[in-house]
Amino acid sequence: GHHLTQIRGGIFPAKTLSPKIPNPTFLSLNPISLLPLQNPKLIHSPLQGKTKKSMADTTPRKLKQSLKPNPMPKNSHLSLSPGTPLQPLTPCPVRRSTRLNSASISVDLTTPQKPIEYIEKSVIYNTPKATKIEVAPTKTPTRKREKESQLYTADVTFSPVLTPDQSEFKKRKGEGERRIATRANAKNGKKRVYYKKVVYDGGEFEVGDDVYVKRREDSSSDNEDPEVEECRVCFKVGESVMIECDDCLNGFHLKCLKPPLKAVPEGDWICGFCEARKLGKVVELPQPPEGKKLVRTLREKLLSSDLWAVHIESLWKEVDGTYWFRGQWYLIPEETAAGRQPHNLKRELYLTNDFADIEMESILRHCFVTSPKDFSKANNGGDDVFLCEYKYDIMWHSFKRLADIDNAEEENEDSDSDDEDWNTPKNADSGTDEDMEYEEENATNSKSRPPSANELAANSRKGRFFGLHKIGTKKIPEHVRCHKQTELEKAKATLLLATLPKSQPCRNREMDEITAFIKGAICDDQCLGRCLYIHGVPGTGKTMSVLAVMRSLRSEVDSGRTKPYCFVEVNGLKLASPENIYRVIYEALTGHRVNWKKALHLLNERFSDGKKIGKDDDKPCILLIDELDLLVTRNQSVLYNILDWPTKPYSKLIVIGIANTMDLPEKLLPRISSRLGIQRLCFGPYNHQQLQEIISCRLKGIDAFEKQAIEFASRKVAAISGDARRALEICRRAAEIADYRLKKLTITPNSASAVKGLVGMAEVEAAIQEMFQAPHIQVMKSCSKLSKIFLTAMVHELYKTGMGETTFEKLAVTVSCFCASNGETFPGWDTLLKVGCKLGECRIILCESGARHRLQKLQLNFPSDDVAFALKDSKEIPWLAKYL
Amino acid sequence: MGKEKNQAGKALNLLRSRLCDPNFIFKPLSDSPETNYSKLKFIISSSIKEACNNSILLLGPRGSGKVSVLELVLGDLLQEHLDQISVIRLNGLLHSDDNCAFKEIARQLCVEHQLLFSKMASFDDNSQFMIAMLQECGLAHKTIIFVLDEFDLFAQGKQRLLYSLLDAMQSVTSQAVVIGVSCRLDADQLLEKRVRSRFSHRKLLFLPPSKEDLERLLEHVLSLPLDSTFSHGYALDFNEKFKSILRDKRFEEVIDTYLNSSSTVSQLLRFLFCAVSFMDVESEFLSLENFKTALLTIQRQPKLECVKDCSILELYLLVCMKRLEVKEQNSYNFNSVMKEYKSVHDTFQTCDYYSRNVCLRAFEHLLQRELICFSDNRGTGQSLEFRPVKLLISPVELYQGLKSYRSCPAILLKLMDR
Repeated sequence: GHHLTQIRGGIFPAKTLSPKIPNPTFLSLNPISLLPLQNPKLIHSPLQGKTKKSMADTTPRKLKQSLKPNPMPKNSHLSLSPGTPLQPLTPCPVRRSTRLNSASISVDLTTPQKPIEYIEKSVIYNTPKATKIEVAPTKTPTRKREKESQLYTADVTFSPVLTPDQSEFKKRKGEGERRIATRANAKNGKKRVYYKKVVYDGGEFEVGDDVYVKRREDSSSDNEDPEVEECRVCFKVGESVMIECDDCLNGFHLKCLKPPLKAVPEGDWICGFCEARKLGKVVELPQPPEGKKLVRTLREKLLSSDLWAVHIESLWKEVDGTYWFRGQWYLIPEETAAGRQPHNLKRELYLTNDFADIEMESILRHCFVTSPKDFSKANNGGDDVFLCEYKYDIMWHSFKRLADIDNAEEENEDSDSDDEDWNTPKNADSGTDEDMEYEEENATNSKSRPPSANELAANSRKGRFFGLHKIGTKKIPEHVRCHKQTELEKAKATLLLATLPKSQPCRNREMDEITAFIKGAICDDQCLGRCLYIHGVPGTGKTMSVLAVMRSLRSEVDSGRTKPYCFVEVNGLKLASPENIYRVIYEALTGHRVNWKKALHLLNERFSDGKKIGKDDDKPCILLIDELDLLVTRNQSVLYNILDWPTKPYSKLIVIGIANTMDLPEKLLPRISSRLGIQRLCFGPYNHQQLQEIISCRLKGIDAFEKQAIEFASRKVAAISGDARRALEICRRAAEIADYRLKKLTITPNSASAVKGLVGMAEVEAAIQEMFQAPHIQVMKSCSKLSKIFLTAMVHELYKTGMGETTFEKLAVTVSCFCASNGETFPGWDTLLKVGCKLGECRIILCESGARHRLQKLQLNFPSDDVAFALKDSKEIPWLAKYL
Repeated sequence: MGKEKNQAGKALNLLRSRLCDPNFIFKPLSDSPETNYSKLKFIISSSIKEACNNSILLLGPRGSGKVSVLELVLGDLLQEHLDQISVIRLNGLLHSDDNCAFKEIARQLCVEHQLLFSKMASFDDNSQFMIAMLQECGLAHKTIIFVLDEFDLFAQGKQRLLYSLLDAMQSVTSQAVVIGVSCRLDADQLLEKRVRSRFSHRKLLFLPPSKEDLERLLEHVLSLPLDSTFSHGYALDFNEKFKSILRDKRFEEVIDTYLNSSSTVSQLLRFLFCAVSFMDVESEFLSLENFKTALLTIQRQPKLECVKDCSILELYLLVCMKRLEVKEQNSYNFNSVMKEYKSVHDTFQTCDYYSRNVCLRAFEHLLQRELICFSDNRGTGQSLEFRPVKLLISPVELYQGLKSYRSCPAILLKLMDR
């Protein structure tokens, strides 16, 4: 066995230095230069990656002792593996029933905070004794748990033989030197073999798993690996149920507690010691019996910075037969720049953007890092379950929420295609290997580069954006984590348009039709290209339904029931010009950016002439064009080209067009309407029952709305537009008004619903008023005296002449008559003109520019009844009423 | 004495700087929960805290304090949530073009987040960059506030900017607030229906203040503070004098006359600034006269003043045109006016008769003063004499002007009547 120790910053104790180097090894400290190896694409095994650095180098190289955290690699959203099992793999008794999901208020900050610069990270490995290698070309959806747990118990017995003389500390000279070496080595034909899953030392490790790794090779405590935690009172491991304190995370037997508990209580539970400590008492924990050392679990060691947790990115076998993996470190809150914050949970970890290549030997065993959602479900998940919601940028010391898994997958796909794009020329021309490599590095990873002189502009480089990693909060705001949402706030959140509802009610028929259409078009061996035109007024769920269908189809593809296809989504209103659609489609299909003429040519080649170049080109392609009407140009060539492709025999293109107008095909040239108008699907406006169902479906389980209030809102919207967005917005606004009333107004509410804090009719009414009514009446009521007289004169003129339009001259004469007969002073024509122009600015009246003076044409913009209504009971000038 | 004078100067400066500072004016209006300030603050801060998207329209006549209140709210929120907010400001007068608006948004986002901005980026780049930034900021709990001043001008054309912005807000995990500021009450009706459907239609209406509010504002602005800035006696005297002015009936009349035509806050402030500037430093205190002079200087009648500046010949021409209009001759040009002028001269044997050339110059002068204008834009190539013109001053005003003219020939007034 040989050891390799890596130190990240700090001074390594001299005693660990050893002159003997049993086996030359290399441990990377610089993720950037390694990144080309880390392309997500390469993970799909068994893929022969090009060796960029050789491990078979005979001369021992020194490891560099870097004093700073490394410049950090790619900042893409690395999702937590969705397939991470949550069940305990070892037979251990149920420890607890509930996990603390809300932040605990009192936190002991006694754990010394270690700045990241001085943390030493050791990686140790022994002689590889891989027993079995499982190559898994496709991800097996279910894993054999029993077998695994058996394997696992075998792993427990493993304890590395550690002798100081075997360990080796190496210094690396410099980044530059290493990179050169890397490139030189890239030319040797040696290859690494990448795997998706490796069974190593009895444990089965897969890409995407989370594991504990050793931190220090000399600490003997690493050897002990208690699978089961001991009770803090009796210090025995029993089969009986244990409960975990949500504050100190210590375990207790139910029967050892005073008074003993019968069952695990619901909600948060805090042990008697912690409670006493909170009250300010000095607490003495029971001491372990003489001669028995308190054994710490891996979890305890991790949370006290004695171990590391790593997310496995990729696994491979080196040329010399050793097994390695690339890991992404997790940090505990104490190790971040912000330190442990009050809202941090006990079992919270942060994913960093720090990577390292680690020998498989240093893995201890699995741990399970989950998203908050899964974490709250994993009540009986054992001791090794952790929560990770945020990503920590070790360069900028900033936090960012991990993107949803959905988004992350999409991004991965994107980068997949990008990588292919870069790899294609590389294979073709190996002479420029290095340059390409460098380019690739640049392109994919400069997001995370430290700021340099030639920093790239953030907003323009072939659709990639640079510097987005800089965005992040220095501290996670407290209100996000600690705030307990009230019912009204929950209602507001769920009514948000951006919230994707769990189910989409009321559009089942249409969704079935779309599914049938797409399946019919794909599943034929011929793959007849077809067009579908979807129309309907805004807010009736057109795009949402299509996307929902595509999601369900994608899961079918994943499970192998449907043929793979590619899906391109374009929005007509987001294109700079209609012609740009070619470019966007081509980019989405191939990842190349060309101008639209070239793109049109290439797309024509692909779809019309049936020339397939890439391997993906014979997949059927579904093209979704939202806001189709925006693509209508003068000669309508764009629409014609796009709609013509599906009719070609080998195109395998399916076009789904969405627009608002029902008769768009009829308005187009006949040759287009004959291609577009065959299959149509109409999304009618929602009626009030449907709207009600949509709203109440979202509000399920939240007690915030009165039933009539929802009905009122949906009836009102159904009568006006049938737009679901409007209905949701009205309800959200109503909730907001109710919330405002609760929080800001101290006036005691009078109605019964207001007392309970429910959203009632009054709030919905107010929201509807705000949304649908122009505020002109209020403005008229509160405008200046002269404006009121002016408006009255307008109405008077209208009644007198029956003509909507009048001139300023006539009006001024009327106003002066009014003033004379009612004892007001006439202000003068010029002042009156100014008053008129101001009314025109608010669009209460429509008027020409004031330079026209007495010839200026005037017209009321609202019905005269509105003016009469607003001004009739004016207290200031009561005589207005007689002219209205 | 010198010290006293100095104090008056200081007071003048203080009052002027107060009148120019919207924060000072609108701060005291912000306490009660009914004000737009607290409503707007609630909406924005709840979207910051609850991580949701909102779009708000601030409507109201010009000068009613929409932007001032918004700035007050933003300033307060920036203090409360340091570096969780980035504000992007656009103005419809500058950025109504979509391409230019996206570029400006990208630029401001880059500045806010210390990124490097490239001018060369295309429309697509910038719009995608904006969406990517919305998402990233959403993940980092940062709120982007878009302030679109002159919102109605963004609603021209295809409305790509609004569509992309609002569509991103309903599809990406973002935290953004779009605040449109407009003086057009029908601004939301200008939106295309697919854009309107995505807009969340919060509306805040800014109205001119009520009479009581105005009185409170007057006192708040024009009273001196009783702290150590001024000598105690002076400040007391000043405030006492000002209170007595406030109680004066004549002062009320002055203010009412002004407010009758323009009742918004900014108009009032302009008036007060004018009045304060008339304050006599020698007499050390504000007086009623200051307000009266201010009213006269601020409420002008430009047309009447134009008439006052005219020569006798120009008046003759104006009167002739008026006579032609009375004769129901709706279209007239220089030649027909000259004919009328000649006939007037022939009938009444006036002493002022000028040659045609002189008359033409007077006619041109009238055109420049905008007392008359061409009745249409056609025939720009035609020579001046033949183009039909229109009178831009009403007979009533003309008569008024003639009467107040220094040495108006009696014959002109007679001609007006007939």
